[in-house]
Amino acid sequence: MTTKAPPAPRAGSRRLTYMEAIVEAIALEMRRDPSVFLIGQDIGPFGGSMQGTKGLYEEFGPERVLEAPISESAMVGAAVGAALFGCRPIVEVSFGEFLPAAMNQLINQAPNLHYMTGGSARVPVVVRTRVGDGPYGGHPQDYVSWFAHIPGLKVVVPATPVDAKGLMLAAIRDDNPVLFFEAMSLSHGRRAEVSAGDYVEPIGSARLVRPGRDVTLVVWGSALPLGVQAAAALASEGVEMEVVDLRSLAPWDAATVVDSVRRTRRLVIAHETWVTGGFGAEIAATVAGHVPRVELQAPIMRVGAAPVPIPSGHLRARALPTTARIVAAVRATLDG
Amino acid sequence: MVDARQLLRWMVVARTLGTTLCTLNVRWFPVEGEEAVHVGSFVDLRPDDAAAPHYRDPFVVYLMRGAELWRLVAQVLGKSAGYNKGRSVPFNGPFHLGVVPWVAGDLGTTIGTATGAALAFKQQRSDRVCVCSFGDGTANRGDFHENINLAAAWRLPIVYVCQNNGWAISQLASTYLPAPVAARAEGYGIPGRTVDGQDVEAVRAVVGEAVESARRGGGPTLIEALTDRRRGHWAGHIVSDADRPRAVEPSDPIELLRVRLLERGLVTEGEILEIHERVADEVTDAVERAQAAVDAGDAELGTDDVFA
Repeated sequence: MTTKAPPAPRAGSRRLTYMEAIVEAIALEMRRDPSVFLIGQDIGPFGGSMQGTKGLYEEFGPERVLEAPISESAMVGAAVGAALFGCRPIVEVSFGEFLPAAMNQLINQAPNLHYMTGGSARVPVVVRTRVGDGPYGGHPQDYVSWFAHIPGLKVVVPATPVDAKGLMLAAIRDDNPVLFFEAMSLSHGRRAEVSAGDYVEPIGSARLVRPGRDVTLVVWGSALPLGVQAAAALASEGVEMEVVDLRSLAPWDAATVVDSVRRTRRLVIAHETWVTGGFGAEIAATVAGHVPRVELQAPIMRVGAAPVPIPSGHLRARALPTTARIVAAVRATLDG
Repeated sequence: MVDARQLLRWMVVARTLGTTLCTLNVRWFPVEGEEAVHVGSFVDLRPDDAAAPHYRDPFVVYLMRGAELWRLVAQVLGKSAGYNKGRSVPFNGPFHLGVVPWVAGDLGTTIGTATGAALAFKQQRSDRVCVCSFGDGTANRGDFHENINLAAAWRLPIVYVCQNNGWAISQLASTYLPAPVAARAEGYGIPGRTVDGQDVEAVRAVVGEAVESARRGGGPTLIEALTDRRRGHWAGHIVSDADRPRAVEPSDPIELLRVRLLERGLVTEGEILEIHERVADEVTDAVERAQAAVDAGDAELGTDDVFA
């Protein structure tokens, strides 16, 4: 279980947004390691979708910031091949809705290479993309759960600027394919103190955001701020909710979750993506099927998007999870 | 540079080995009739170049790069001694020899990774190149278009060789190829070449020219090698001679080279017979050694070897 606090603010830390923290991580690693380069659309002088590569082209030039044809399969495939032959590419797939165009390389190729070559090949590639609701409203579909199903892929879902930087540095240095999902509602959200230095947050380790004795809430990505708000609202009613931020779905920190629920004996899982067949089901099944048994006082509840393609405009808010829905789910477990 | 006799020997290796493997595994993809494209496209690559051969029995390509014959046979038999530890499709090659791995059952994926090998070489400012071959069926995957377009835009050091045998599993090319594959090169702004894929010396010359251009920074070339699959898609797929297309004549690239070498006085009938006998012995020994090896088992399942 990781209860470690994020790096303490100190001299050299600044208040960065989630997106600024990610860009800083990439810049740090590109300065340190000449084998790191970037492939993507609009990552030149334009600065990337949602300013996702701001300043990188100016610092590293067109030889390391490669503007690609709109060809996601070739972008990912070529990055995987370059990783096989000694590079550490980062592919910038502007939005998660475009991942299906690269699925063959993401599912049939990248995760299989190490295993299928008898352990001789390594694929140090990062595919970063943006999912969920965001400030501009576009491209909201979130397919993150698909990827956690596949052996050989690492799936990272940071929720804070500090984690975003530390997990991006970990992702680039990892010798395996890592999918890095950025929650668009967080991209330009609240700033936080982020160390200017080099630090790595381990992939596969959850973070205990807030301790509590009555119920455990497991979240990732954009659901973290909703969960923190829900915890504050419940605290005013005398309910102490523990909040666990998974930070990665593959591998995922089952030990921290099981340990928490063993103490609270109630579990609610909240995420922006759909419930059916989603990763929340894996968490629920793991806790319910754990040996030795985790004594539960109430049914496990899940909160996620309505079972519709995520709609636009006024309908969007009706489809997505809210603080109120999380609070309602928690109350149901307390009543149950 | 290997000499013409060595070319003949490699093609005999491909034929003899392929015929044997078809008797050992009915799911093996016969190379018979297409040996010259494999040998001619890859024989002159440097050891530090990358090779991404078509999946249709590419073992001769791996052998030319230094693979051990018995360990390749072991892959076809699902043995732990295979380079893949019995885990992948058997035509996957040894990665440590610069072979782009075959780990997907899906065609066209290696066009992407091969293009990525060329991208790595360019990023590393080396003069290494990649040669990538694939079938005429695969040429219709999106990966073909996306990657050749990307390689052309970025002038990557890669040579694409379409091994066109006129059919894809059971379908005739008339159902999927409305125009010659090499003609597509113009659309990408790169050179397109067509070559007689039964003539190993011609394949070698055309691919060699494209490789040298790529090495000098000239970018990719698309080559269409016309060849002839003389058997079914897999060993157990029986097709009658009347039902299969005649993509090109003559149908036997080994016979073509044999006659040519005899005419040039570079080899005698006796020496050719000796090549066949020695290769047959090598294959027999390799099969015996592979058959005696243990099947892949719990030790190779490797649940702790999914991540590097």
